[in-house]
This record gives sequence, structure tokens and C-alpha cells, in this order.
Amino acid sequence: MKMPARVVGEEKVKLKKSFIKPWMGIKYLFKKPVTIKIPFEKIEPAPKYRGFHTLDWKKCIGCNFCGQICPARAIEMTWIEGEKRPHPKVDYGRCTFCQFCVDVCPTGALGFSENFYLTTGGLEEDLELYDWVPIDPQKVRELNERFGDYRFPVERIKFNRETREVTYYLRDGTEFKFKILGYGLKPPAAAKPKPAAKPAAKTAPKPAEKKEAKTEKPAEKPTEKKEEPKAEEKKE
Amino acid sequence: MVAWKLILEAIGILIYATLMGFIFMGIERKAMARIQRRVGPPIYQPLIDTLKLLGKKESVSHGFIYDFGPVFALGASIAALLFIPIANFQLFSSSADLIVVAYLLEVPMLGIMLGAMSSGNPYSALGVQRGLLTMVAMQLPYGLAIIALVQHWGTFKLSEIVALQQLHGWSILVPALLIAMIVFDIVFQAMLGLEPFDIITAPAEISMGPMVEYGGKHAALLFTQHAVQLFAETAFFAVLFLGGASNLLELLIKQIAVLFIAIFVASIYPRFTIDQAAKFFWKWPTILGIIAVLLTM
Repeated sequence: MKMPARVVGEEKVKLKKSFIKPWMGIKYLFKKPVTIKIPFEKIEPAPKYRGFHTLDWKKCIGCNFCGQICPARAIEMTWIEGEKRPHPKVDYGRCTFCQFCVDVCPTGALGFSENFYLTTGGLEEDLELYDWVPIDPQKVRELNERFGDYRFPVERIKFNRETREVTYYLRDGTEFKFKILGYGLKPPAAAKPKPAAKPAAKTAPKPAEKKEAKTEKPAEKPTEKKEEPKAEEKKE
Repeated sequence: MVAWKLILEAIGILIYATLMGFIFMGIERKAMARIQRRVGPPIYQPLIDTLKLLGKKESVSHGFIYDFGPVFALGASIAALLFIPIANFQLFSSSADLIVVAYLLEVPMLGIMLGAMSSGNPYSALGVQRGLLTMVAMQLPYGLAIIALVQHWGTFKLSEIVALQQLHGWSILVPALLIAMIVFDIVFQAMLGLEPFDIITAPAEISMGPMVEYGGKHAALLFTQHAVQLFAETAFFAVLFLGGASNLLELLIKQIAVLFIAIFVASIYPRFTIDQAAKFFWKWPTILGIIAVLLTM
């Protein structure tokens, strides 16, 4: 059955012009302003406000689903010394905070916090802050409880270009150090040369141990090198 | 034979007027903010703005006339101020100072127009065109209101008008002059450049109108000019219709009362277009002005 379009009569929506009625606006002069005085008052963001990311390093399997779904291509996989799998590195210069990466993460390693404040100066070393491998959600929660102002949990990021060592200076003064070996899905070239250790690694993969010695580390890499291209082919 | 007392008084009044003018501008911003349910800036904000503008490193100049315009406008405002009886100080006086003040208050707009035109910006040209048309349109009711006032009191001297009002009661208590006051108040809105007639600057419409090119120290000068102008105009209103004042505090209260009416009108009515404004000025205020003049005859 087709319904006729309902049209409200024009005489019902047309307002009568008046010189007197605008004076009703004056009544707000004596009412309390609705302003939130920001430096003195706080507003709580919504409980699931889409803010900065958190990453559970133990859960992340380096599948790069997040990197593939990211509409801004802000996620780049990063090889970190001591980790068998690459971890996502989020670039907040490009991130749109759509949190598709969080929805798509199969292991639930990538999450987000309500923190939304991030301001820096314009210097090159200040801008390092916008590019990070997210830290553990527990740590972020802890920092939130301590400060409660929804700022970025890291105060300063130092990236040493020679040693490729990254230091996060967290807001409570603790330092968080790790070393970036390379970027992308393929294991970094620095870890490649040592094919001799290959069979040994294949037979005994050790998923539980994170902080392994450097000697063991390169041994594991080639195994992943074999796996990764396959995974890529499947996805694409 | 230098009249030291006169010079000191002039400087004192000038400093007081500038400071109070800035405070009036602050009150304007604060009250408008409150009507829009905002907190608004602190009351001394225009003063800070002006100091900041004075601290600018560079200011663009487009030649001598461009620099001269704001100075000319400020000078005219100060000259108008010195002719108005501020409480018990009236520094200069002539036999027809009502006319002198009435037209000295118009001159600053010409000064701004002069400077703005020399910048060669099309926005300022448009602003100047609108400003001059507004000036032409508002002269008729303005003149009629003043004629009604002069006819009733029978004098052109401001000090005599104040004295007569203190004898016979305020001007607005006379019905004919009440009508004249309404006319003057409408014109006053245009003189201050406030909302229904803020066609000249028209924020967000023709970016800033005549002042679009002014920045740095020129803009600071224009801010100061606006402060002095605001003080002079409110004082002029208080002297003509609210019976003047015997001390500065009384004058201040009357000035603020006048200012608040202007703010209320400004914050509730939207802007006229220039053709509507000209039509409006030649219709209702003119009719009311003619009635006022006829009643005082």
C-alpha cells in the first residue's frame, strides 16, 4: 500500500515576526553560565572513549591484521629485540582513532584507553612522541589512576638512531627500554645471517621466554621468515 | 601664561576616559557572553589586547594617509571628549558646543575611512562604502533628535542643558524628549557600531570591514580610539538625556545604564543589511523624530 506523502501546512511552521520576543533572550543574563572551566574543572570522557592504544605484548602474534585494516595506514609492524613476532607501531600523526585495529585483533592484544590528551612542542625530538609501540594496558590503567587527567602515558620518547634503542620515559618516572631491529613483515636483515642455527630453532621453539640472549635470538628469526610470506599470501 | 591647571585636567580626564572606555568594552564583552550563557573574558581584557598589539614587532604601513587615519580618528575623539561636561569638568566650551560635539563624534569614522581607503583592500573599500551610507542614513534622525532637544531647552550650550535639567528634571521626563531619546538611542547603536547596525565592520561577513588591513600598533590605536569614543558617546548621551552628573560616580552609573541598553539591543537583534538599515533609518526613527520636533514647537 502506498502512503501519500505527509506535508505539514506552511501556516503551522511559519513564525510570526516580532520586535518584542527577542528580548526574552535577556533572561540568560542572570542565569549561571553553562561553561566548564577547563583548567579548574574536569570532564570525564565516556567509559569507552576511543583514545590511545594499549598493547599486550604477550598476546600479540604479529599477524598484521591491524596493519591491513587501518584506513590511514598508521600501523607498521616493528621487530623488537627479544620478541619473536613483530608488534604494531602506531603513528598518531596519521591515526584516525577509528579503532578498527582493536576490533579486528584476533587475540585481543590491541586495546584502547580513554586517554586522549597529547600535546608536544614542534621540535624533532618532541615529535618522536607521536610514533610508538603501545604499552601494556595494565600500566596505562595504573598511570590513569595515579594522574587521572587522561594524558598520553609517555612523557618523552628517545630514539637512538645508531643503536636503534628506544626509551619511553613514562609519566611516573619509570623508564621502558627496548631495541627496534627492523620494520615490516619480514624479519630484519640484522637477524638474518646465521642459517646454521636454523634446524635447531625449528625443533625447539620457545614461546614462553621473552628476554633471551642475543645468541639465541637470530636463530629464531629464520623460522618466522618462512612463515611470514605464507601468511601474507593468504591475506592478500 | 600657560594654563597648567587646564592641561593637567585635560590629561587626567583623558587617562580616566581611556581607562574607563576599556572597562566599558570589557563590560560589553562580559555582558554579551553572559547573555549567550558563557563566562566571557575578564573585564580588563580589552586593555590586555591593546597592550599586546602595542608589543607587536612589525606593523604594515601603506603610506602616510594610512598612518594618519587612526591618529586623526583618535584626535577627533579626544577633541569631542574635551567639549563634553564630564561631571564638573568642562575644559572647553563655546556658545554652540552641542553641535561641535555632535559632529566631532562623527569625525572618527571619517578618519578610519580615510586610512582604510588608502590601504587599497576591496574589503575595506566595501566597509567604507557601507560606513558612509550608514552615516548618511543616520544623520537625519540624529539631527531631528538634537533639534527637538535644542528647541525644548532653548540653548546650544551643553553646560546650560545640564543646568536646566538639574532645575526642571531630566530630559526623558518630558514626553517629546522621551521620543527624541528613543530616536537618539537607535542612532547611538549605529554610532557605537553595535549589532543591528554593525554593518560597517560586519564580522564574518566582510572579514573586518575598514579595519581589515590594520594590525599591530595601528590596531592598538584604533582600540584606544574606540575606548575613548565609547566613553565620550555614553557621556554625551547621559548629558543630553539623563541630566548630566555632579560627580564622576554618578556619571559612571548613568553611562553604564546607557551602555547596558545598547548591549541588550546588540545581543538580541541580528544584523541589518545596508539597504535595510538605510530604509529603516529613514522610516521609523525619522517619523518619531519629526513627531518629537513637532511636539516641542
